[in-house]
Amino acid sequence: MQGLERNLKKGLAILLIAFILLGVYYGYILFFYSDRWFANSYNPRVKLDAWEPKVIPGDIKDRNGKVLATTIKEKRLNPETKQKQVYYYRSYLGGTEQAKSIAHVVGFNDAKLGRSGVEALQVKYLMGYNNPFYEKIYQMIFLPQEVGNNLHLTIDIDLQQYIDKALDKSKGSVVVMDAETGEILAMVSHPNFNPNRLDNIEGDILLNRATEGLFMPGSIFKVIVAASALDNLESISSIRYDCQGVIETGSRSISCYGGESHGQVDLNQAMTLSCNGYFVDIANKLGKEKLLKTAEAFGFNQDFIFPDLKLAASPLPLKGNVSGEKLALISIGQGDVQVTPLHMAMVASAIANDGIMMEPKLVYEVVGRSGRIQEKLQSKIYRKVMSRENAKIIQGMLENVVNIGTGKGAAIKGWQVAGKTGTAEIDNGNSEIRNNAWFIGYVSGNKSKIAVAVVIEDLPAGQTGGKLAAPLAGKILKKALDLGY
Amino acid sequence: MSHKKFEIISLTMRYWFIGLIIFITIRMLMETLRTSQHHDYEDEGPFGHIIFFMVIFLSSAYALLAYKNPNGFDKYTAVLGIIVGISFVVQYNLFRLIFPRMDRILLIIVDILTIFGFIMLYRFNPDFAKSQMKYFIVGNIALLFFIIFTHKSRMNVIFSYILMALGCILLLLPIIFGKEIFGARNWISIKGYNIQPSEFVKIILIFVYALWFREDNKFRDHLPAYIFTGLTVLLVVLQRDLGAALLYFYIFIFVYYVATSDWIMVLLAGGAATLGSIMSYHLFSHIRVRVEAWKNPWRDIENKGYQIAHSLMAISSGGLIGTGLGLGSPQVVPAFKTDFIFATICEEFGIIAGFCVIGLYAMIAIRGVSIALRSKEPYKALLAFGATVALTLQAFTIIGGVIKMIPLTGVTMPFVSYGGSSMVTSLALVGVLEGVAIGTGDKNDEEDPTEDDVYEEDVEE
Repeated sequence: MQGLERNLKKGLAILLIAFILLGVYYGYILFFYSDRWFANSYNPRVKLDAWEPKVIPGDIKDRNGKVLATTIKEKRLNPETKQKQVYYYRSYLGGTEQAKSIAHVVGFNDAKLGRSGVEALQVKYLMGYNNPFYEKIYQMIFLPQEVGNNLHLTIDIDLQQYIDKALDKSKGSVVVMDAETGEILAMVSHPNFNPNRLDNIEGDILLNRATEGLFMPGSIFKVIVAASALDNLESISSIRYDCQGVIETGSRSISCYGGESHGQVDLNQAMTLSCNGYFVDIANKLGKEKLLKTAEAFGFNQDFIFPDLKLAASPLPLKGNVSGEKLALISIGQGDVQVTPLHMAMVASAIANDGIMMEPKLVYEVVGRSGRIQEKLQSKIYRKVMSRENAKIIQGMLENVVNIGTGKGAAIKGWQVAGKTGTAEIDNGNSEIRNNAWFIGYVSGNKSKIAVAVVIEDLPAGQTGGKLAAPLAGKILKKALDLGY
Repeated sequence: MSHKKFEIISLTMRYWFIGLIIFITIRMLMETLRTSQHHDYEDEGPFGHIIFFMVIFLSSAYALLAYKNPNGFDKYTAVLGIIVGISFVVQYNLFRLIFPRMDRILLIIVDILTIFGFIMLYRFNPDFAKSQMKYFIVGNIALLFFIIFTHKSRMNVIFSYILMALGCILLLLPIIFGKEIFGARNWISIKGYNIQPSEFVKIILIFVYALWFREDNKFRDHLPAYIFTGLTVLLVVLQRDLGAALLYFYIFIFVYYVATSDWIMVLLAGGAATLGSIMSYHLFSHIRVRVEAWKNPWRDIENKGYQIAHSLMAISSGGLIGTGLGLGSPQVVPAFKTDFIFATICEEFGIIAGFCVIGLYAMIAIRGVSIALRSKEPYKALLAFGATVALTLQAFTIIGGVIKMIPLTGVTMPFVSYGGSSMVTSLALVGVLEGVAIGTGDKNDEEDPTEDDVYEEDVEE
């Protein structure tokens, strides 16, 4: 029996490695995901019991202290016990119709539909699960009922309601964030619903388009291509492209908007005019690996794990076999690339913030029972996506877009707005083309840089980002400036 | 009011429990590593018997649960805690007196895990814990029997054929007489007791493998063992008992490799198993459902992902030191008293306790293999190694499934989960390990001279 001892030791090593992996995985997965799992809408531990709640959830307020959500007590007849009892329910913006504007951000806490939005994700704070030991004991002994903590969001309700009105009946989403801190000032998704009346919910009305809605980006993706080109192509400043209005790739020809030919263009002019041919050409010069690397630095294909909100990953399928045609389509934001409005607001922020992408932040602070601030959540850098110099170059280009290019509609008198328009064309299956109109951009405001991402979906052909999204973004940024940001 | 009082006490006692659990685990780790190098059984270390702290853990948990009674302090529960605690002291010392050479560290680790089970089961429902105590007593008889059996009995080929036949008959029983529970047909019912024969077959497997692989024979000399492996795996697959099939395969691969150093066969078997899993993934819908539930349990929480999603929610509800014993909601987790008991421990005793439990199983691996290393006969070394693999990889399989590391296969958590078949088998496997342990270094009790010579030649090399 040769080598039995050695083999036994090998066997032990394998067993121990298995257990070490088990322990590491256990620690890793709980560290990153446990808050999310706990906040899951199906978790019965944190349900608001209408008749006998163990804990009364705390209030949710906006950044100026206006109450967005609160718990109301009311004497009602309990159908089970046939007695008048205290009934608890959540009320949003005083139970009014205006609560529609915050429906997706704040979410709801309903016995039947479960929870969503902040009501779901921050349930740990709202239900007081983060309370220290002595606080729990104090509440149990001295209070008639345990109470949760209050949350202050970074949302500005005035801006939020303004955007809600400005979007009117159109489908789409708007995100406004502070580029330097990552604080989300407004996040609107249309169509919306009244969280005070959840009886007739239909279709995808509950979907928060800002964080879960995946849209084709169209030309705003050119910002990523440009960033990659600045990073990887040394001769980028001398590369010129002779735009004939149409470029052939594989079996398909891609034309510039309206078939216009832009003639000899460099990167700056191509961005200003949103010349498709130039970016297809650049993407070919870059190759898929380099483009993918830059895009992944910008957060594509990444599982976003943020403490304050759930954000769907933006898929960019550039791995494996990618045909020249596919790469060409992706370089102008068509094809299989998809993004969320919040992610695009983060991209705009990163450019405004000289290449540093901040983590999106929705919760400002957690305030305990006696008004004591329990947790003040700090801004965190998500990652550095590009060099300061390249960010400055792109800033200049995006200013040109608004000053003389496709994004003129976003200009505000007296302020330098920068941005990029986009129009994604989607074949809806009945050989009819519908458009998604995009604008991402920013303005250097009174205190900080304010970034915005606007998408209006399902538009008839001819409605472009420049025509619809840019003016709307301009209006929204103007309002934000008026509010003092 | 009484419930509020219980909540306050339980919240406070979390610190006491987690302190005890950490202390016991660290002391066990020190003992495990120390005595695996020196054969030093008698030194008790600076804090004396760890068993004493375990009894305190058990009785204080039962005392706390006594407060949970809505009619005030339940004296019966508190007294029961002390009695059960004392019974552990008696069990431990009895075994130590009868078998002075036994590996007492291993027995203590097993006792800690059993105590975890007793506490959780009593907290779910006192009746579970009472039944579990019955199983524990039967298990201890099995433990005693297998210590003596492993130590005294002489294996031969005829006997192994009898064992193989017995194994096949045991596995055929549920297919013929069994009833379906949770989609698997691996139970038979005798006088109101549900018995899972696939558990007991593990013991037969390790004896058969140890016998057939003890000598470095040619490949074809092991043929009966291969056929037996194939048959047993086939039979448990027919019962739709995936967990058992996986476990049998692990035991075979590990023992076979350790005995023969035959990489090619291991790779072939591994390849065959992979092929088999891929085929069964495409053939059987219940396996596809499991894999999908593992990939993303959140997509279909109400159906496919229900078990794992609720398990993960329970684990994440406890925080570092848990919600407090009796304050969690483990009942919402499916199979909370058997397969998912790890999730409920994590919820009420906290993430740290989960780490400690994982650590305790790893310590069983260390103790088990060190017993195998000390053993002077290949047969007994393989026996000890087989038992170690059976116990630890079963724990790995279920904990990994519960925390979504690997797809969930329904096996019990040895010593902790509720269930007679599991408890008795696990303790029997410990009996095998201890039986090998008491034989180590026992010069007068060697095997027949031919094997002795072979062994001594090895040592001289």
